[in-house]
Amino acid sequence: MIIADPKPFGQVKEYIKDYKRVLVVGCGTCVTVCLSGGEAEVQLLASGLRIALGKNGKNPVILEGTVQRQCDEEFVVPVLDRVRDERIDAVVTLACGVGVNFLADRLGSVPVFPGVDTTFYGASAGQGLWAELCAGCGNCITAYTGGICPIARCSKHLLNGPCGGSEKGRCEVAPNSIDCVWQLIYDRLKKLGRLSELQNLLPAKDWRTASDGGVRRSVREYLQEPK
Amino acid sequence: MDKECPQVSAGEILATCSAACPVHTDTREYVQRISRGDYEGALDILLEVNPFPSVCGRICHHPCESECRRKTIDTAVSLRMLKRFVVENTREYRVSRQKKPAERKQGAVAIVGSGPSGLTAARDLALMGYRVSVYEKDTKLGGMLAHAIPRYRLPADALMEDIQDILATGIEVRTGCEVGRDITFQELRKDHDAVLIAVGLAESHSLPIPGTESSGVFLGIPFLWDIANGLRPELGGRTLVVGGGNVAIDIARAAKRLGTSKVYMACLEKREEMPAWQWEIDEAQEEGIEILNSWGPKAILAENGNVSGIEFRRCTRVFDEEHRFSPLYDDSETTQVDVDSVILAIGQKACLDCVSESPVTVDRGRLQCDRSSMATSERGVFACGEVMTGPGSAIQAVATGHDAARVIAHFLQTGETLKIAPRAVQTIGDLPAETAARAKRFERVEVSLTDPAVRIGDFSPIEPGFSEMEALKESRRCLACATGAYLESEAVCAGCLTCVRVCPFGVAKVDRTAVMPAQQCQTCGLCAAECPAAGIALSRFATNKMREKLREMLAGTVAEKISRPFVVSYCCLNETTSREFLREQTEAEIRETGILRVMVPCVGRLSALDLVSPFELGADKLAVLACKEEGCFYTGAEGLLRRRIARAKKFLDEIGVGQESLQLFNTEGSAEQSWPRIWAQLRSAAPDDEVIAAQAAAGGDSR
Repeated sequence: MIIADPKPFGQVKEYIKDYKRVLVVGCGTCVTVCLSGGEAEVQLLASGLRIALGKNGKNPVILEGTVQRQCDEEFVVPVLDRVRDERIDAVVTLACGVGVNFLADRLGSVPVFPGVDTTFYGASAGQGLWAELCAGCGNCITAYTGGICPIARCSKHLLNGPCGGSEKGRCEVAPNSIDCVWQLIYDRLKKLGRLSELQNLLPAKDWRTASDGGVRRSVREYLQEPK
Repeated sequence: MDKECPQVSAGEILATCSAACPVHTDTREYVQRISRGDYEGALDILLEVNPFPSVCGRICHHPCESECRRKTIDTAVSLRMLKRFVVENTREYRVSRQKKPAERKQGAVAIVGSGPSGLTAARDLALMGYRVSVYEKDTKLGGMLAHAIPRYRLPADALMEDIQDILATGIEVRTGCEVGRDITFQELRKDHDAVLIAVGLAESHSLPIPGTESSGVFLGIPFLWDIANGLRPELGGRTLVVGGGNVAIDIARAAKRLGTSKVYMACLEKREEMPAWQWEIDEAQEEGIEILNSWGPKAILAENGNVSGIEFRRCTRVFDEEHRFSPLYDDSETTQVDVDSVILAIGQKACLDCVSESPVTVDRGRLQCDRSSMATSERGVFACGEVMTGPGSAIQAVATGHDAARVIAHFLQTGETLKIAPRAVQTIGDLPAETAARAKRFERVEVSLTDPAVRIGDFSPIEPGFSEMEALKESRRCLACATGAYLESEAVCAGCLTCVRVCPFGVAKVDRTAVMPAQQCQTCGLCAAECPAAGIALSRFATNKMREKLREMLAGTVAEKISRPFVVSYCCLNETTSREFLREQTEAEIRETGILRVMVPCVGRLSALDLVSPFELGADKLAVLACKEEGCFYTGAEGLLRRRIARAKKFLDEIGVGQESLQLFNTEGSAEQSWPRIWAQLRSAAPDDEVIAAQAAAGGDSR
């Protein structure tokens, strides 16, 4: 799941302060689950914007809406229709950066502003807490690391064991909140009876499958329309 | 009538309390109306199905309480007493809402007997427009209610309240008119299109043992009848009542009140088999009545024709393996009790003199009647109440009265009989033990009966009604079963598990989308408050629609005209002990006081949006008036509310409103004592030290 955090309110207010009809639109998938961009956040942000801008003597119309996903054409069409039909002159999206881009590509002359900061791919680590677990590098090596990703979970993305900053199983970057992933990998492989595999060095990583190789695409030819 | 939640859902599923009630009173709804201070609305609910709420508030055996799901947590809600509270506090309203005679339609019905079943049928038929005449052989209406229930349990005026309400529907009444003596059954048939026999079981059985002819032997029902009519049957110093049912208990307790120094009860049953209600047995024993169990009367002993004692033999079994009455005795074990009077209360039978000269079939003293069509052997003659069902409760008799009205109306319209199929009642089921284990316990409000030594002195009522404070408190113990959270639209649910994680009762689940099983939901509203998709709705007090509600409340009030500072106050209604703050505010009141009260059953269910949106609608300050510290019904709600308020305060700072505009208070004492002081201080310029202290205690001040 993509994790995002709400942007500071002042930033969002500043984005839209000169617009008259603004649509705040949430996304019903990842950002709803991580409590940053679902319908409840849309309502709260919209209410805050009305109050704050009203105090500045501006009373823009702030409209609200949420769609199931902002990364699919079919779900986004109703947003585009509203923008056109309700003469909206700016959109704030609480979707991840994907949603911001997806809308920007389709909104023509109407600007779109982000309402959240997209942070990482992660999972719930308890009530009200999410942790990064994947970096989306495009070449998964977790088969060799007991299913635990050193790219996402090592502060230095090290491939062959810990650095000197590993102390008592914690990472020196934030000992209170970050485990040393190589300690986790060691413990896991030991439990699996595969500790000896640590002796096989992982080769230097080819980062072209990550963003270094340019803008990535993912293709399922069997579903594509024949050219 | 708008209800919080329809009593009968599409699937015909009732709350257990309602399902247990023979007339399926919408118990949950009337209790919730009491809780909101809507006593008149509660009476409307009672009268939907029961024309005898005053009687039932006093003497109902309250099967609703036996099935109350709160029993799994602690004890049942005191539903009978709440019913009584409603009736006792809505007398003027009840008169004002009396049903007027309906427009007449073709068809006349004679009803023989004016007990609860006969009068219920009479009322229903009159409201349908039929001409109804009730024939009562006695001078008073009410049947057994008027004549066989001692006044210490059912005062005459309590019965009259119900009867007057029923008579307002335009029923013609002929008291002192015995069918079969003052008017023949044939005359009745000639003058009416249908006849309903609702004569009850007004005669007592005697015993086939020696000595019953002696002076000092009484039959139970005539004994009670005399007392109800101001006569005082002469009893000696020691009296023994034969029987173990509720009538026997009434007789024993009445005998005690006549000044008899020693009263015994003797019955075939073991203590745990006695048919009398447990609480009646307990109260009788408190009054000094001695119960002799497992004894069968053998002979009444007499000297010079006067009772001198009664001889018993040991009863070793009352019922056979198939629960049929089949007593066995051990004649080798006998006992004798020296008494001056014996009262027989071993069962009742119908007096069917009214049909003795008619073709209506009576077999071995029983009126022949088909239970489902309520039809007797004679076309157009029907029966209801105990004469049809055998001994039962008042509310069971009312239920048969309703059915009788239906079958008679059908007969009058079509000439055909109508068979009423037994209604298949489904309930929401028991409260699961694991849910109950997580719920907080709250003591049931009990009233103290008059001291036994005092109450046996006369026939004065022994049970005080609830005060308003007691009724409100008790009404809030109701779990409002099945009026909780539900997912409004599956399409919006992201399956995020927030509801699962915040539910204090372990009720919410995600099965692709969120599910809050009605059987378990405790209606706290925390899941709705935290749902990131704003997709969870609440059946009662829809705080998920609070913004719309606030708009509606302020619709007629021009914000600029409201006295400043304008304080919106979310209030925990469970803290109110009167209707002072429960009644709806007028627009003028909101304008002049600058206070808008929003009553919710727990402020813990307010979402972050609810803590911000009042400022959008023009509020200067927002007060959240929570319950007393640690007093919340809902486990964990207080902590969650505090964290939500801290978040809202931070947001209010960010949007320029300022965190000090939102304050959380705990109620101190009662709402009526505590809240006005909080409001006064919020509206005055200088902060009051005590209020700040209260606010700090509530953890709502982050300064």
